[in-house]
Amino acid sequence: MSVTTKAAVPAGTTPPAPRSTVSGGGSGISTFVRRLFSQRTLPYLLLLPATATIVVMLGWPVLSVFLTSFQRLDIGELARGEVVWTGFDNFRNILTDDVFWADTLRTVLFTAACVIATVGGGLLVALLMKHVYGWVRVVLQLALVLAWAMPILAATTVFQWMFDQNYGILNKTLVELGFTSFHHYSWFQTGLSTMTVIVILITWQGIPFVAFTLYAGVLGVPADLYEAAGLDGASSWQTFRAVTWTALRPLVNVVIFLSLLWDFKVFTQVWAIRQGGPDGGSQTLPTLQYLKGIATSHFGAAAAVSVIMILCLVVLTAQNLRLMLRTEEVD
Amino acid sequence: MGRTKKRLVSVVGLLVAVLFAFPIYWMIATALKPANQLLSDSFDLVPLGLTFQHFVDGISKEGFLGSLENSVIVALSAVAFALIAGLLAAVPLARLRFRGRKGFLLLVLVAQMAPFEALLIPMFLMIKSFDLLHVLPGLILVYFAAALPFTAWTLRGFVKGIPVDLEEAAMVDGCGRWAAFRRVTLPLLGPGLVATSVFSFVTAWNEFLYALTFLQNGNVTLPVWLSSFVSVFGTDWGGAMAASTVFTIPVLVFFLFVQRNLVSGVTAGAVKG
Repeated sequence: MSVTTKAAVPAGTTPPAPRSTVSGGGSGISTFVRRLFSQRTLPYLLLLPATATIVVMLGWPVLSVFLTSFQRLDIGELARGEVVWTGFDNFRNILTDDVFWADTLRTVLFTAACVIATVGGGLLVALLMKHVYGWVRVVLQLALVLAWAMPILAATTVFQWMFDQNYGILNKTLVELGFTSFHHYSWFQTGLSTMTVIVILITWQGIPFVAFTLYAGVLGVPADLYEAAGLDGASSWQTFRAVTWTALRPLVNVVIFLSLLWDFKVFTQVWAIRQGGPDGGSQTLPTLQYLKGIATSHFGAAAAVSVIMILCLVVLTAQNLRLMLRTEEVD
Repeated sequence: MGRTKKRLVSVVGLLVAVLFAFPIYWMIATALKPANQLLSDSFDLVPLGLTFQHFVDGISKEGFLGSLENSVIVALSAVAFALIAGLLAAVPLARLRFRGRKGFLLLVLVAQMAPFEALLIPMFLMIKSFDLLHVLPGLILVYFAAALPFTAWTLRGFVKGIPVDLEEAAMVDGCGRWAAFRRVTLPLLGPGLVATSVFSFVTAWNEFLYALTFLQNGNVTLPVWLSSFVSVFGTDWGGAMAASTVFTIPVLVFFLFVQRNLVSGVTAGAVKG
């Protein structure tokens, strides 16, 4: 062992227990293999492109966003290449801005609505997959994969067409069903109904992943647990609570946090549907960041919004990691 | 579960399937409908006639072909760079022992969690300072960086899954190190390479925020072009749906492709014992 730990040797699937020929210092094939990997610099050379990219393209921006958030950096400073440190001014301005707090509240409610609808819907679909006929399951899974595969912007465009005021199929269907007040109803007139459409869109896109993940979990529940519950005379609701839910609980936690992470930073759908309108009524933190930074060139102020978003994401990610580690322990 | 109950649940299952498939059906149905049936008040779930005119119109709309080309170039280049750099990093991380290996592993793992959406401002400033705004390389650079940690991490897993004994056996049979890698490890890595590149491709194909920020003046990618369809198409929903269909097809093909290629256990049985 002591011979090989210093030099670079193949790690293999097990700890690098040296072959007898190697430790015996013998010549031949094993020595040849060892010499192939013995150049000390080789691993570092191979890692160089990836490491350099990660440090420059990810490490620096993370540092830079914090630095920028303490500067006044508008179009003038940027053009002149000036660095103007302003301490916590950006944060003070943002935290005393009513628009920021309205957008934050909207983002939190929006994220909560998306996560509850996605995970709840995904759980129901997963349970549905377990209980339907085999061919129905195949049809259902195919439909879910189609929804999953559809590019975000294609789906967003189709939803805009389906929710169209005059000729959208949704309004036509609702009128057909007797809800005549939806004749030429505009779904994008108020912020609330615009947000509702976005939540429906994101839920439709998010359920397939959650459903497939939870369905895998449902399949993993040992059949004898159900048998035992049946012998004990449990009702189907009791069986669900005692057996299925108990087994799925850790997995449900994981998809909740993954969905939280994804839905909190959604930009594409919100922007593509109404650019945060009408009148900022569907503005969220990611679109606020874009509007402040890119659209109106207040980079310092926008970076402060980014920093606040990053802090929220870090808290969520840490929580997610903790849960994932706990799930692994359960396994 | 009783038979009636199962039948009932199956009917619900079919309804849910319809709900999820409907937007895709509606996209294609609208794209194929004759224009005079589109803007009508009648309730028309099934197209009464078929036409490919919308596809012809949509494709010939200004900017469509250009943005399609940009999307393909950006996504493919980002995937190619990520695969090369990722594979180069994956091999030592999976196969070699060296000082600092754990540190590199941690770096790749942490980099996967980078919140790209919240790094827009510094990325914009950096790409601007590189003088790469409004051109494709700037966007390629960001997509490459976004795809790299995941690619390196996943490929490391795939490389680890291939027994070292196979490479050693090839070298016993007279292959050099490079030949052993190329003839034994690389082919076995095929499914892994396909799976990771499809994932990165779809991510780049979908990306909107950075494309919207970095590119402009009509020289954009498909998502950005499509998001401005109201100004491009007006109320030409047939054309918008035809363009969306063309945008969707590569991803659907890739999803099916991966399913066929993701046969696990390719290497199972290659090594005895």
